[in-house]
Amino acid sequence: MAVCIAVIAKENYPLYIRSVPTQNELKFHYTVHTSLDVVEEKISAVGKSLGDQRELYLGLLYPTEDYKVYGYVTNSKVKFVIVVDSSNTSLRDNEIRSMFRKLHNSFTDVMCNPFHNPGDQIQSKAFDGIVSGMMVQTG
Amino acid sequence: MRDPNNQVQVVKNLRIFVNNVVTSPNRPPTALSHAQSKILNEVVLSCQPQEGVVNNVVTAGDYDLNFSATTPWFETYRENFLQSMPASDHEFLNHYLACLLVVSSTEAVPVEQFLKLSQEQHRIQHSGEYTNPKWFIPNTLKYYVLLHDMSEGDEQRADAVYEDMKQRYGSQGCYLLKMNTRSFSAEGDEQIPDPWSQYLQRNILHTQVRTADTLGDVTHTVNSSAVENNISAAEVDNGVSGSLESHPLQLDITSSSGSLHTLGAVKTELKKGARDPESLAGGAGSHGACLTLNDHDHIRQFIQEFTFRGLLPHIEKNIRQLNDQVVHDSNLEMAVYTMNSKHSPELQIRKMADLCFLVQHYELAYSCYHTAKKDFLSDQAMLYAAGALEMAAVSAFLQAGAPRPYPAHYMDTAIQTYRDVCKNMVLAERCVLLNAEILKSQGKYSDAATLLIKMTSEDSDLRSALLLEQAAHCFINMRNPMVRKFAFHMILAGHRFSKAGQRRHALRCYCQAMQVYKERSWSLAEDHINFTIGRQSFTLRQPEKAVIAFRQILTNDSRQTATQQSAFLREYLYVYKVTTFTPDGLSLPQLPLPCIHCSATRVYFGHERRLAEGEKQAATHVSLDQEYDQDSADMWCHLEEQLVAAANRGIVPVNFQPTQCCLNSQTDNQRHPLAVVEEPIIVEVTFRNPLKVSLALSNLSLLWRFTADDAPPSKEKMTNELAITNEEILALGARLRLLPHRTGQLNVVGVVYNLAASSSGEMAANTEGNAHTFDVMVVHGKQDLMIQGPRLNQTKEDKMTVRHGHDQRLNFIVTSPMPLMEIFFLQFPTALLCGEIRKAYVEFCNVSSVALCGLRVVSTHPDFFSFGSQATTPLTPVSPTSAENNSAYKTLATPPQSGSAAFEMLVSAEDFSQPSGVIDIPIDGSTLQPGESTQLPLWLRGPDQEGVHEINFLFYYESTGKGNKISHRVLRHTVFICASRSLSVQASACRSCVPPHHSLGDKGGGGTLIFIDVENINMSEAGMREFHIVQVSSSSQHWRLHKCINPAKDKDCKLTSRERAKLCFRATRCKPQKATSDAIKKYTFTDLNLGNERIISSSTPCGDFFFRGCQTSESQRLDAPSSRTSCSSKSQSCVSTEDRSSDITNIVRKCNELDLNIIVIWKAYVVEDNKQLILEGQLHVALQTIGKEASSLTPREMVLLKFKSQLPPPVILPSAELSQLVKTSLHYPETYTHPFVQDSLCVVPVTLTLSNCSLAQVDVIIDLRHKGTSPETLEVHSSFTWVGQTQYKLQLKPQEVLCLTLQACFLQAGVYNLNTPRVFAKPAEQGAMCETSQQTASPSLIFINNA
Repeated sequence: MAVCIAVIAKENYPLYIRSVPTQNELKFHYTVHTSLDVVEEKISAVGKSLGDQRELYLGLLYPTEDYKVYGYVTNSKVKFVIVVDSSNTSLRDNEIRSMFRKLHNSFTDVMCNPFHNPGDQIQSKAFDGIVSGMMVQTG
Repeated sequence: MRDPNNQVQVVKNLRIFVNNVVTSPNRPPTALSHAQSKILNEVVLSCQPQEGVVNNVVTAGDYDLNFSATTPWFETYRENFLQSMPASDHEFLNHYLACLLVVSSTEAVPVEQFLKLSQEQHRIQHSGEYTNPKWFIPNTLKYYVLLHDMSEGDEQRADAVYEDMKQRYGSQGCYLLKMNTRSFSAEGDEQIPDPWSQYLQRNILHTQVRTADTLGDVTHTVNSSAVENNISAAEVDNGVSGSLESHPLQLDITSSSGSLHTLGAVKTELKKGARDPESLAGGAGSHGACLTLNDHDHIRQFIQEFTFRGLLPHIEKNIRQLNDQVVHDSNLEMAVYTMNSKHSPELQIRKMADLCFLVQHYELAYSCYHTAKKDFLSDQAMLYAAGALEMAAVSAFLQAGAPRPYPAHYMDTAIQTYRDVCKNMVLAERCVLLNAEILKSQGKYSDAATLLIKMTSEDSDLRSALLLEQAAHCFINMRNPMVRKFAFHMILAGHRFSKAGQRRHALRCYCQAMQVYKERSWSLAEDHINFTIGRQSFTLRQPEKAVIAFRQILTNDSRQTATQQSAFLREYLYVYKVTTFTPDGLSLPQLPLPCIHCSATRVYFGHERRLAEGEKQAATHVSLDQEYDQDSADMWCHLEEQLVAAANRGIVPVNFQPTQCCLNSQTDNQRHPLAVVEEPIIVEVTFRNPLKVSLALSNLSLLWRFTADDAPPSKEKMTNELAITNEEILALGARLRLLPHRTGQLNVVGVVYNLAASSSGEMAANTEGNAHTFDVMVVHGKQDLMIQGPRLNQTKEDKMTVRHGHDQRLNFIVTSPMPLMEIFFLQFPTALLCGEIRKAYVEFCNVSSVALCGLRVVSTHPDFFSFGSQATTPLTPVSPTSAENNSAYKTLATPPQSGSAAFEMLVSAEDFSQPSGVIDIPIDGSTLQPGESTQLPLWLRGPDQEGVHEINFLFYYESTGKGNKISHRVLRHTVFICASRSLSVQASACRSCVPPHHSLGDKGGGGTLIFIDVENINMSEAGMREFHIVQVSSSSQHWRLHKCINPAKDKDCKLTSRERAKLCFRATRCKPQKATSDAIKKYTFTDLNLGNERIISSSTPCGDFFFRGCQTSESQRLDAPSSRTSCSSKSQSCVSTEDRSSDITNIVRKCNELDLNIIVIWKAYVVEDNKQLILEGQLHVALQTIGKEASSLTPREMVLLKFKSQLPPPVILPSAELSQLVKTSLHYPETYTHPFVQDSLCVVPVTLTLSNCSLAQVDVIIDLRHKGTSPETLEVHSSFTWVGQTQYKLQLKPQEVLCLTLQACFLQAGVYNLNTPRVFAKPAEQGAMCETSQQTASPSLIFINNA
């Protein structure tokens, strides 16, 4: 399962970042931030050719020694980033896809909350729950 | 030069490297030695970006990055790295090609020396003793140079030797170099540039750290921009002769003893002699000072000669040889073949390739490398193959015109082989550096970055750092710049730099990365970078930068954990303390913590209020503890307006501004607030700690600037003269006090304080007196207070832009002394019964040194209190009991005289009430001298409504002196009174039907009966309250209570809980007053006491409150109908009817008007704390009209929602009211005995009294005839008849009483109801329709007896 899940706003600031508590949170922040370059690259590459019919799932953004970083961009340019441990070979592309889809649905619910101010940090128990379900259970 | 195929090949930019021959033990070439890495480190360290170099700005997306595109430190590193590469076996690139043998002309037998050197060289190359200076080709080119020092030696001798040499070695193999034509001393002021300077700097570095392994490098640098070739030239240099290129020797020669010394060393020392430390020590100054420009030319010429005559032909020859050999070998088809490394054909090919490469024959080189590569690979000689691959790629790249694409995969394979198979990191690194440069030159930044990142490893921090930085630059140089990757790799590079001890570079990297992370809410990363920047800056002695960085961490809304934050804070404080240690406190630095919420700053003018002083309770006034409330501020302002108007004869001055004692963000702060000399100003500063750890502030004080009125504004001087005390009270906000001693302008500009990190442990230690540890972390600094006014929103410009008004909250004007009054209340209750009267005292103290006057008060509840009125205070002695009970009332001992004995008193309303709500406070002499105080009684009456009442008083006073900036001062007081239910009084009046003769001598029409229902509605169970009705008084302009009917004599009226009593009184009209037309309205007070004490209702407490009550109820009544009429008048159709009927209604109203006010005075016996208390009080009931019930409890009005458009109901004549125009009563004997036997007709005289109740003329019609339709008429037998005139038409004058004598005729004995006359009345001059049958009284029975 994921070791870090992040939601990044259109303007590329974090709306939500959660990582497994055992590891260095800062590292994940850096990783997610750096992955945005790749996300942007992929969007600009795809955007020209296909227009609106863009696939939201971007696939593997880049692998590092320890992690694999996957990306997903909604139509409103909100980015989801999931970082998975490289050693975790059981995760297939399809599973990652479904994780993103779940995340997107939950995110949509958060946005539908009339009390949520778009652009604010996500503070939702339901969203937390969904994210926790996708994270590596430690201990 | 010509290639093997005799093609001419042009060689450009040939560079020759000349080095000392150093034999040193071979060392593993797989890693850099310690010394080498140290050199590289030094090189990088010494190469720092220059200050003020214009950096280029890269704009990528919404990022603007500012960084230097060039990285000279990396270039130096690369150069040095490549130079320090040891020669290795698998390639020939830094093997020596030729050897220069140099002998000085001062040598005794130079030729012999040449021979020796030649032998020595041969020995070094071929003996196998030495592995290190590697030689390219077995028969190395030897070039013999005779060095002649013009300043010393004999020139002719040198020429002779040279001739000899030419003979021996051929003119192409030797050279005479003359130099040092200038004497050392002559060099004086001629400025000849030091030819060695650019080389020396670097080489001194080398020599300083020299072990046995430097020099002798062949460097091959491929630079993407300029294709240059450094051809390695070999040089034998045996110490002495090294003078040409090894500079320390240069000095030796010029110095007097130097040459001898070195000459002596020729035989024994090959290299070490030249390296004596003394020459090094002296070498720092100038070199080549004795060389003239001619000498430079000589040297240049010599090199040229050497290259063209010696070196190039030599190479040419060798290439041809090798080529032949290779062709020959391949012809032999490699039949016999051993992997003897030196002579294997592959190596020969490689050697040839290298040679071609050196002379820039890349095409040939490439094909050779390519061949060699294949051969090596087939032989599984991986190191060799990798080398060939590498060079093949380079050659391919360097080939002009590029017939084939750059074989990047060659490089990849080479790198991989070097690293993984050969484990040779140095070679791998070289390969990476070359490849990266090539890729960059081809714009393949992404590949270059990947390559560079792959090369980073744990073993060398410096290399990793440099490569990461280059990778970062690659990312930013991409067509779509990858800003974040750039930043991230910069951070990684910075990290490695700091590990490698390159702090400056580390700091630079972090700073560049910061540009990407800054203010983009990646706070965790930002904090990390800031923290690192802070640390690095601090260790690099840039504490200012460190402070800024740490400050950022702390002021940003940090998401760090508390422990992290406290660490940051400690670090910050430490750095701050170190940086900002300034002995004078004048230029204090700004502190970032805690945040000051400037706009929440509050200012309070005046002393801290004492709330109570013994029994005395001080006026609440205003304090900083109160929250600001707009409604209450408006209320106070309104009250103050009333006061000011009263003080200025009813007009509010134009420049009136409400007094503001406490300023905050919501008050009007556009004007400079006025402060008074010697009165403190309290400034409350609100701090907010953004951190999760607590901060300790101490020694908090205000920073201010003062400009005196009379003196020129010299700041420093004033500060000395002025003693302003700063106190600190730390609460939610800190309250700081300023006490101005002189008039002028005072500006508060900031706060100064000590900041420390406080953990509970430290605090404990501090309290125990262990202050030392605590002291370390305390820093002193200031923060400015800049208050921005509210945003303006008036004009269009205001709305379009963000403009802020001025806020003068902290810019005071200190004015001359003003009086200051304090008010204390004594025996002031907090809870009262409704209507309860209580006496309290109020004390006014003038605590200033200025006399005050014009004392006034206004209140939101003017009916709540009274200062009494002197005019009505009777001088009659008060009864002893009244004094005993501390009664509020003045009583007179009077036995109860029920019945007719009502005491009357005529009082003018003006004695009590004042025109407006403002009440002048009657103090003696109307001024209070400084220090004087006066006490006044104050009567209070519990509000009529139960519940908690907030009652606000605003006291006004002014200075006796004129011309102050402050015209007046006010003092606020707010009390909360809890009113609980006492009695409810309901009263109603009706006309008495008692015949006039019953009322003693009174005019018959005046009698009215007043019924008063009193109920104890007190809910309190505990107190056991018993109410006594002590007295009922009335007050009216027209009526008076006349007599008590019920209760009867001596019957005290007690009411326990929930009991109800009914009282009945008769009221009569007052005697007509003569002065009714006068403006002065006189009220008649009548007292009917039920006990044996009479309370003078017209005197102070009772009368006051009566009039107060009247005023408020009147004002309420005025408010209500005004709204009603406004809506009704809208309907025009009704107007005419209204007009017509108004007359009648007026008359009718007048007729029914009573306007009698009843005052019920009670006493309540309460047990409280085992003590019996007697409480007194009074309730008012205003009876307006006859027949209507009035109550002391004004019902809470329920306002029904009504549609305004609804038409008012058509005006109906108030028949019910018209029916009361005339009061009728029948007077007759109750029993009448008539002998029917004698006379069958019994005639009884009956008097009908008609009294006109109205004040208008009334036409009355009296009809005595029975109504025919009435069912009673059927019973004729029981009826009687009126005889005589049966119909009258009369006119009654206002209030006239008329008696008509009627005769009733009875036929038989019985009981008859005489009340049959129908009386119609209408006001005179009105239409017939107004005729209304008048109300019939109750049956009037007559007994007719048969005698």
